[in-house]
Amino acid sequence: MNLMANILLNVIISFLVGSVLLGLQRKVMARIQMRPGPPIIQHLLHTFKFFLKESAFPKTAAMPFYIAITAMLCVIWVAAVIVGPVTEGSLLLFFAIYAIHKIVEHNAGSSSGSPYGKLSCVRAVFSAAAEVPLFAVLIIIYLKTGTMILSNIVTYQNQHGALLLSIPLAALMFFVLILSKSPYSPFAITKGKDIVSGYETEHFGLLRGYLMFSESIAWYMLLWIFLTVFIGGLNPVGYLIGMVVITAFVAFINALTPILNPNHSVMTQVTLAFIGIVGSVILLLY
Amino acid sequence: MDISILGGPILGIIPLGDIVLYFTPFNLFMFAAALAFTALIAISSTESQVEAEFGTLKNREVKVDKAEFKLRRFLAIVCGLATAGAMVTGDLFDFTLFVTLIGIVNIGIVAAVKEIDVLDAAFQYGLIAMIGTLPLFGGAALVLAATGTISLLQIVQIPYTTSLMAFGSILFFLGVAGETGVAPFFATKAEMFRTPGSPFLLIIHLSSLLVIVRTIEILLIINKPF
Amino acid sequence: MDKLKAVSWFIFVISVASILYALIINPPNWIVYAISIVFIPLSILSFGLLSMARGKKEEEEDKRKEPFIGY
Repeated sequence: MNLMANILLNVIISFLVGSVLLGLQRKVMARIQMRPGPPIIQHLLHTFKFFLKESAFPKTAAMPFYIAITAMLCVIWVAAVIVGPVTEGSLLLFFAIYAIHKIVEHNAGSSSGSPYGKLSCVRAVFSAAAEVPLFAVLIIIYLKTGTMILSNIVTYQNQHGALLLSIPLAALMFFVLILSKSPYSPFAITKGKDIVSGYETEHFGLLRGYLMFSESIAWYMLLWIFLTVFIGGLNPVGYLIGMVVITAFVAFINALTPILNPNHSVMTQVTLAFIGIVGSVILLLY
Repeated sequence: MDISILGGPILGIIPLGDIVLYFTPFNLFMFAAALAFTALIAISSTESQVEAEFGTLKNREVKVDKAEFKLRRFLAIVCGLATAGAMVTGDLFDFTLFVTLIGIVNIGIVAAVKEIDVLDAAFQYGLIAMIGTLPLFGGAALVLAATGTISLLQIVQIPYTTSLMAFGSILFFLGVAGETGVAPFFATKAEMFRTPGSPFLLIIHLSSLLVIVRTIEILLIINKPF
Repeated sequence: MDKLKAVSWFIFVISVASILYALIINPPNWIVYAISIVFIPLSILSFGLLSMARGKKEEEEDKRKEPFIGY
């Protein structure tokens, strides 16, 4: 297949599946909280709806930075789709993409001049401490498999079995990372309702739809990387089932936990990372 | 060990005499991202922050004035170019130079601000960045002494890791952590971000994060666990 | 048409043209990666800027100054 068609197809699939998964997450959360909840395609419908809504660009915003930062989010997650499903390239690149996602959270918040955005901006800097688990996961995967390239990691798993069984604590740390990126999670301090919508507050209308588009792709890619790196060798149906299971599990946790305050959120993630790193090193040595 | 198991296949090398720049998809992506953000900073204006006033229901604007804007924009562009350079350099000493430049310019970007909390946080960050230069350069020097070269492309060919190389890389990592001001070394660097001037704050945060990601690659190049 | 619409149309046409170019002509891989990373997001952004609703002209200035005049 033509490479461009391959990329376009993967971007479209990641957007559609990611949106439906985020909608499924809301549905499961609602049902646990004993209310009907929105339809599963709600996130997808909202994304389309926002493209038709009126947007005013605030007078205080830093132009064209305020609009361009939303475009950067889409750029990095399209790059993630290329690195992941299309070329199965380096995991280190994925770390760089995750770091730039933090940057976008930081600057989408501060670019509008709104105090809610500013608070979210500062919280995004604190929550960068939650990248320590990702750093540790990458090192542990490298120590175990001897490579950072996704296609080689899949080959390793075909020979030696799933990494989920041999380095379970690394999988746990990556799962905590997925949890921190999910909506309504205990670690979602940058989008907490105590600061209205955090860094997304002043990006409304079209720009909100654009951010939701990129976030759907981000959710899909996070789950795809988890399944590829820790289970590996799945066919599309396997990926779909895996993603639905992880989304439902994340929804269970999000429905039953409150949002932690910023210091507690960061310290919880760092503590889990510490347990994961020490445990993994011990497991690797024995 | 082949460097292509870390960042992907080497796409190209630019030899500038002894200093060699190399491009893998990983380095190229970060280089392009740093340059794209720098270009964005060069063309953007700053935001005005909206803050509540005491005694009335009105809001007031906190803005960046023109002279401060030009100075901070210049420093932000320098920081962005230094970050881009640090992403592709194949030379360990060159990388440490870029990191110290980033540290200095980061302080400069907020030093023009007129808010006391921000200046306090910047001052403390400056102290830690200065302390961080010792392990940074010391670590690089130890790696040079242990391997005989500062070229990363040559270090990656050495099939073993001596304990001095490991010690040097630990010091090097501590130096980078101090210069970029990451938690837990300097958790209140976030206080520096409460000031107006969003495009300039971006480059402070971006440079720190990208330098850390590159440092991981460098540490994996120097230390070979198998 | 005003400046925003003109710029959006320009960017939209360029983005769609380069994506079609990459689909039809099939250039070397690195060009396809560059086109997709730059022009897929730009096409969606410009499409959105064209499709979004616009309010009445006389209210626009009020909506932009909202924090300072209070609704």
